[in-house]
Amino acid sequence: MTTAVLLLLLAFGAYLVAVLENWATSGRFQLATPAFSALALLGRESVLPRKPDRIFFEVAPTLLLISAVLAAAVIPLTPNLIITDLATGALFINAALVYVLVALIMAGWGPNGAYAMIGGWRFLGQLIAYAMLIVMPITAVVMRAESLLTTQIVVSQAGLWNIVYQPVGFVLFFIAAMALAFLPPFDLTTAKGELAGGVEAEYSGVRLAVFRLGRLVLIITLAAATVVFYLGGWQGPWLPPWAWSAIKILAVTAIMLLAGRYMPRIREANLLSWCWMFGIPLALLNIFLVGVLVLVFS
Amino acid sequence: MSTLAQYGLLLGLTVGTIGLVLSLYALARAIGKARTESGKDVPATAGQLSRDPVWVRYHARYYGYALLFLAFDMEMAYMYPWAVVYKQVGLVALLDMGVFLAILFLGLLYGWSQGALRRQ
Amino acid sequence: MITGARHGKLSGLRRLLATAMARDLKVFVIPGPDIARAHGLDINAAGLQMVASPRHASVLLVIGAIPPALREAATVIYAQMARPRALFVLGTNALLSPLPDADMTAELSQRDLIEGVQQLRQLFSAHAFRPDISDFDAPVLQIRLEYTCPMHPEVIQDEPGSCPKCGMTLVPRETQANMEHAHMEQQQTDSGTDVQMASTHEHQHMADDTPASVVYTCPMHPEVVQDEPGSCPKCGMFLEPREVKSESTHEHQHQHQHMADDTPAPVVYTCPMHPEVVQNEPGSCPKCGMTLVPRETQDTHEHGDTDSHANHTGMDHSAMNHDEMDFMSMVDVTKDLPRSTDGLPMEWIDAPFGPFFPGLPGGLLLSLTLDGDTVASSGALSLTESMNLLAHSPMDSTDFMEQLANMDPLTPVAYRLLACRALENAAGINVPADTARARAGALERERITSHLGWLTLFAQQTGFDWLMRRAGSLQLKFQHASLEQIVALKPAIQTLIKRLQRTLLLKSRTVGIGRLMPEATMRGPVARAAGLHDDARSADQTFTTLGFTPAGRKESDAFARLHVRLDEITHSLMLIEAAGAMESPTLLPVGTASGTGDATVETPRGPARLQLTLTHGQVSAAQLETPSTPHLDLVDPLMEQQELGDALVAVGSLDLSPWSSQQTFPQ
Repeated sequence: MTTAVLLLLLAFGAYLVAVLENWATSGRFQLATPAFSALALLGRESVLPRKPDRIFFEVAPTLLLISAVLAAAVIPLTPNLIITDLATGALFINAALVYVLVALIMAGWGPNGAYAMIGGWRFLGQLIAYAMLIVMPITAVVMRAESLLTTQIVVSQAGLWNIVYQPVGFVLFFIAAMALAFLPPFDLTTAKGELAGGVEAEYSGVRLAVFRLGRLVLIITLAAATVVFYLGGWQGPWLPPWAWSAIKILAVTAIMLLAGRYMPRIREANLLSWCWMFGIPLALLNIFLVGVLVLVFS
Repeated sequence: MSTLAQYGLLLGLTVGTIGLVLSLYALARAIGKARTESGKDVPATAGQLSRDPVWVRYHARYYGYALLFLAFDMEMAYMYPWAVVYKQVGLVALLDMGVFLAILFLGLLYGWSQGALRRQ
Repeated sequence: MITGARHGKLSGLRRLLATAMARDLKVFVIPGPDIARAHGLDINAAGLQMVASPRHASVLLVIGAIPPALREAATVIYAQMARPRALFVLGTNALLSPLPDADMTAELSQRDLIEGVQQLRQLFSAHAFRPDISDFDAPVLQIRLEYTCPMHPEVIQDEPGSCPKCGMTLVPRETQANMEHAHMEQQQTDSGTDVQMASTHEHQHMADDTPASVVYTCPMHPEVVQDEPGSCPKCGMFLEPREVKSESTHEHQHQHQHMADDTPAPVVYTCPMHPEVVQNEPGSCPKCGMTLVPRETQDTHEHGDTDSHANHTGMDHSAMNHDEMDFMSMVDVTKDLPRSTDGLPMEWIDAPFGPFFPGLPGGLLLSLTLDGDTVASSGALSLTESMNLLAHSPMDSTDFMEQLANMDPLTPVAYRLLACRALENAAGINVPADTARARAGALERERITSHLGWLTLFAQQTGFDWLMRRAGSLQLKFQHASLEQIVALKPAIQTLIKRLQRTLLLKSRTVGIGRLMPEATMRGPVARAAGLHDDARSADQTFTTLGFTPAGRKESDAFARLHVRLDEITHSLMLIEAAGAMESPTLLPVGTASGTGDATVETPRGPARLQLTLTHGQVSAAQLETPSTPHLDLVDPLMEQQELGDALVAVGSLDLSPWSSQQTFPQ
């Protein structure tokens, strides 16, 4: 029952992300547009490129969707509204989202086209840049919560949200989450102006629809994860818990979608060098600071 | 819910997602097949009909980072269990991991000094 | 009806989908969004969403008459679009063969565009599925198999056979039936095959008289080995020939190696860890103390393997090559591959970027040889028609002016002004000062429009959505703005420039990208960003009295070029206010004068010079120099060894106009 409710909410959330994304790119707030776009994709041909790696080409969109759905399964909207409160929740999010990389590389390799392939390999470089900045800040969050349970992580922020407790970790995680969802300015892998669509370039019709759906679920999942790890999850005064979760998740999503509009795409070389020269030392510093704080206040 | 049931649920989610995708594909197939026409299946390259194969030894210029990444990714596997028990164990845990991370960090600095942190 | 409809009866679910598709029109613009804006079209406002890949588009929007080479490319785009697809042509009724007949035509104006879109929607909802459709085909889409020698790419023939140079069996290759184009491309990328050619030499010596036996293997599945050419049973790729060296060949090779050793090959010593350490003497590395190893320099580096026999430790080639051929040694497999700058043997691919690439000016074709995501070499080519300046000789002076003004849709005013000046100069007419001022105003307005157009393209290339929207809408507003409107728009421009100075990542995206040494071939903003202060306006009295000073920077990179253009926008605003008038140039009556004329106009991309001969009021000879022509040659040095994104920003920063980048026009 809970699962069904949550899956419906996830679908609804993905739809809202599509509305927000449409608003961010076209400047028009239209509730119906994503529905028409989805139906239109269903009605259009789905072209199979010649001599593709058929398995890779077919599996990639589904894998992207599965990876995002699995990550969403361990995210709580209220203390009880969670698909499965896995004992290794925080780690599981990580593990599930690694398949985003696999999916994108498959999508890049599959169609045997130049733009797609470069896009796919670019994302591997992007993973090498952001991956540590997902893992290390989560470690610091877990240190405070003393548990990998996502519900426990929310409860641990009762007095003080993690965004205040470990602001460095929040900033790093937020940036890394945007890079993981290949949102602008980190859309190196689907860059329109550099790769004419990159990994998406060869997908059309229903396959593209599944790919886009996977991306939308991925974005809302990452926004929800940010809320759980740093913004106190369902906690908040006056309103019921589910309302707080919804408000926070949508706010984070909107920021994620809008931020990239106001700057050019990052250079891959800069992304890599900044993540390793500043990001990782800062993430280690964050772990150390949280370690000291946890000991001092215990 | 037992752990096994939890993972069963996750497996169910996976199968359900695949089912959803397959039914979408079936629906699209019912609407019609993609027509085979000349030139249509050639990968789109901005107006030139490029038929060259692209599956080649690809030069990933970030391999310097990739090597460092391996070291750090391995290390993070140890960090999660450590983080869970950190508060119980206390100062010793901080020092233990502190030494470990310091060594790893020195490795990063060494790699940096040797020019691993740039496009090759 | 739509010729690109899907097959099937429109009923039930399909009707719903057709309605959805009518609501959700995605458009691919030909020759490009830059041309659409230059014609004053706002595609987004018309309710169309622009996409980057033809696969995602349902409407192909063709703007104006386009030259044959671009029509062929547009045909490829059309063929790659998923059905249902429609062809929407603006501003021309000419047949666009080999494209199919247009599903919808309209005049070249925003109002007609919007109306056309409404009708297109109706077309889609009524005809997206049709029971009677036929396949689209065109000569340009035909595949032809041709046979080529894997070692001698210059050997190409229609029949299978063996190579006249080395006797190897030719391998089949897919190619366009209509090859004119591909050949042109081939020439452009020739520099990219240099290394391949170099490696050919070695081979030639080796295989001259002893035809080695050849097996065919899949580049992806080395375990697939057969005697005949064909395609891989596992992945369908064409098998590539690999030579099995018989004993005699091998000796021959050795012999050859000795020969090579005799000729004094220049040897340098380098550190295995620090490739940047290179010296002529043996010794130890100043950085790590390791003993330097010898390396032969570029021209003979294919023979490097030979040398390692004597000097390299641990790699005994003779042992490796002799025995089992089943064992694919990495050294062996990668022997003939091109080397990257870091010395790794990699395979390179050729990928065309253009003529309809979303991050480049429409009509510009970059043929890139890519080493991973890095550009190994490139060739730039304008696919716009090489226009004959004089359609017929002698030519009426007004016709001549109109023709020149229509040459470059990106800057029509500048070329119209150029024609007027040259004609008036030839006829010996003195232009009244106030007319000259009004013309200067119009030229400066076009400079602002053009630079804003460049900003929009830059934003599109780098995914900077806000700038794309802002600069794009300002460009449309400036295009035909009156003096009052321009004064009113001034604060918007100032805000835009201020915002750009504070934009995150913009500096890191452009600083040091596309750096070039100052060269004589640089023109306009590119030259002024390199510290060269040549500006045709400095020599023009009209401009000097208006208080003109050229903009200038020294860094000569994309950042400097961006800022020179921003500065010029500000300067142009000032000049327009000082001129106090704007008037598109009209030709003063030249009568039946004769003489030679010579004029230079600083177009937004740099000085354009026109020399012509007037005979009894008619143009009998003309010669034009445009700034984009020499800039095409800058593309290769700019892109070389740059990461793809950086390379595209670098090329973008030149602001090439494919429409006016022809070579010199013969009369």
